[in-house]
Amino acid sequence: MSARNLLLMGQCMPCVKANASKIRIRRMELDKNLNMYFKKDEFLFAHDPQKVCKTGDVVLIRELPERLTRLITHKVEKVVYPLGDITDPITGKSVVVGKYRDQIEEANRMFGKSEKAFDYSKAPPRGRLEGTKDFTHGETYIKYHDDGKDQPFAV
Amino acid sequence: MNITPILRTGLYLANRPVVRQYAFKSDLKIKWVRPEKIPSIHPEKSGDCSKLSAVNPKELMLGFEKSKELETADAAVKSLFELGNNPYVNTTRYHSEQLIKEVQRHPLDYGSMEAKLARMTVFIRRYQQHMEEHPRDKKRKVILKEMIEKRKKFLKYLRRWDYRRFEWILEKLDLVYKPPPAEFHWITRKESLQKLTDIHCEKLRQEKLDEYRKTLEEQQIPFLEDAIKKMQFIRQEQIDLGIPVTVTEEDIEQNKKKLAELKAFREETKAAARKSN
Repeated sequence: MSARNLLLMGQCMPCVKANASKIRIRRMELDKNLNMYFKKDEFLFAHDPQKVCKTGDVVLIRELPERLTRLITHKVEKVVYPLGDITDPITGKSVVVGKYRDQIEEANRMFGKSEKAFDYSKAPPRGRLEGTKDFTHGETYIKYHDDGKDQPFAV
Repeated sequence: MNITPILRTGLYLANRPVVRQYAFKSDLKIKWVRPEKIPSIHPEKSGDCSKLSAVNPKELMLGFEKSKELETADAAVKSLFELGNNPYVNTTRYHSEQLIKEVQRHPLDYGSMEAKLARMTVFIRRYQQHMEEHPRDKKRKVILKEMIEKRKKFLKYLRRWDYRRFEWILEKLDLVYKPPPAEFHWITRKESLQKLTDIHCEKLRQEKLDEYRKTLEEQQIPFLEDAIKKMQFIRQEQIDLGIPVTVTEEDIEQNKKKLAELKAFREETKAAARKSN
């Protein structure tokens, strides 16, 4: 198990552990009975004291020579694709869905860009609304008990 | 036939204390309160933090505000074009235009995700207002629910495409976004009580661990002080008796340093605790 120095790519999932991130490794598994491939998820915990990866980021993780705790077996190597901030690997330009960002900006400029519109240069980095308006950094659950306290992750 | 095993199990069953596997009732005093059902169309579920603002009824309808004829027209004629004297749909259109103007990319932009979300938000808030006045309007209720779900889907997409724009739009439209829970289940008394018991047990465990930690920490300083004293004594004895010295000055110094560090750390934590209180 240990010292294989294996690199894996996966997606970061919401996690309550303090200095670890939960990474989902998704593989396709052949069902011999149906002769079809199905998704199979494996969850690994990667050591990440600075919390460099946020929920939804695609990250590279490397296996540790020996496991840190009972759960933590890997460490986060690099964030490859931050969620919602995709760069095209061929041209190196930022992309939104099917268009380059500078093409969108150019179109806006031609039509006369609105002053109030969103501006990438002024926008602060991701994560400022965590816990106030954006609750995607944790797992939500169906509210099962009313204890009179505020339960932000209850739906 | 040998009946000894049967007799033995019978005896065992008779002597065993009664443990009920089924219909087990915990004697922990945990009170469970079923959360009140909030309809999905309510603002706290849909994530709308603010309502539509009140409009000045003297405001002109959309498309007439720049009219030169109306500027010089008679007051009675002008009043025919005021929002207050026209169907409410005109006020909604006015609201929609106002909110879209806040977020659109350029003056002709009505099809971008931001503009769509703004239009849907006004629609949802107007319909929520309508549902408060007419709670039995089932048709509009369904339309409203579908629109809320559609907006949530669009927010999900925008988050994936462009995270910073998503955050910006949440702030602009004053919305709260919560991802859906992993799986749906009905809220039952049994399951809720199981979860509450788990939380209770975890709390008990943590309390005991904290208590044990505290007792160990209390012993740390006296132990070190004692160790230093004993080491000094042993060293002195060894020197006096002329036998090989096993305790060096460095060991004692190291322990003294450790003790000083520990004392400083304790003082710091105490001061921090006092400050927070």
